[in-house]
Amino acid sequence: MIDNMTYVRLIEKTVRWLLLVGIIIYVVTGYGITEFRIVEQLTFGLLTKPLAFKIHDALAIPFVTLLLLHILLPSVVRHFRLKQH
Amino acid sequence: MVRNKATVIAIILCAAITATLISMSCSNKVIELPSVEIREYEGKDLSSINDFRENSIKGPQYIDTESYQLKITGLVENPSTYTYGEVIGNHELYKKVVTLDCVEGWSVTILWEGVLVKDLIEEAKASTDAKVVIFHAYDGYTTSLPLDYIVNQDIIMAHKMNGVVLPPERGAPFQLVAESKWGYKWIKWITEIELSDDVDYRGYWESRGYSNEGDLDQGFFD
Repeated sequence: MIDNMTYVRLIEKTVRWLLLVGIIIYVVTGYGITEFRIVEQLTFGLLTKPLAFKIHDALAIPFVTLLLLHILLPSVVRHFRLKQH
Repeated sequence: MVRNKATVIAIILCAAITATLISMSCSNKVIELPSVEIREYEGKDLSSINDFRENSIKGPQYIDTESYQLKITGLVENPSTYTYGEVIGNHELYKKVVTLDCVEGWSVTILWEGVLVKDLIEEAKASTDAKVVIFHAYDGYTTSLPLDYIVNQDIIMAHKMNGVVLPPERGAPFQLVAESKWGYKWIKWITEIELSDDVDYRGYWESRGYSNEGDLDQGFFD
């Protein structure tokens, strides 16, 4: 049987990886806006400036949400641990 | 003693002749110093010409103003070609302070000086079918604006910014001052002004998803 602690840990791990992916996309699309000539070449024309803009803008809220979860989840884990003991 | 006196007199004479020659050469020739950028105009603080981000599609273009030609083509009775000197020498020059807002988030307020685009169009006599003005740049960049907007808003094509001749990085010889439009409508290195009836024409960024209107009070995506 999977307990609450395992769920929280799984969420924590998922958030961590999603945040890492989010950061990479955020940085790459940021460069896709400001250094679009280089990024377009490096991505073989896949990441154009308008597309980079759209992704960068769309990513703002999920990015902040993931960041908050990443900050807050450890305290939730600590809370569960204290309860277990 | 006599030799010393002669030497002193010779030195004084040489100095006097040299000073006279220098003063003569200076009075005959006016040495032109580089223009100094204006940073305040009629109480308004201006940005610097170095406050721009270089974000053109192929990097700065270096156009020789001696061989430069501006073409007025398309739906006009008299297709014309002007040299740089003819554009700024044969037309009334206008100044205005306008802010350029880039989609990237930065903006600059500059005193622009140049000719009215409508003056050039009037000389070429636009056809009644002409609805759109398509601007072509040296690097292949294009953008379009409605003819009514160009005429009614007194849109200028600047050759000077903050009192300084446009440097190549800022679009020399001419940059469009498309006030109240997003920065991608401010085409640099203009080489051709084409009048068209194609209201659906889309320029470089417009064909890649940016709004064709490019109005500042709206988003820059369609």
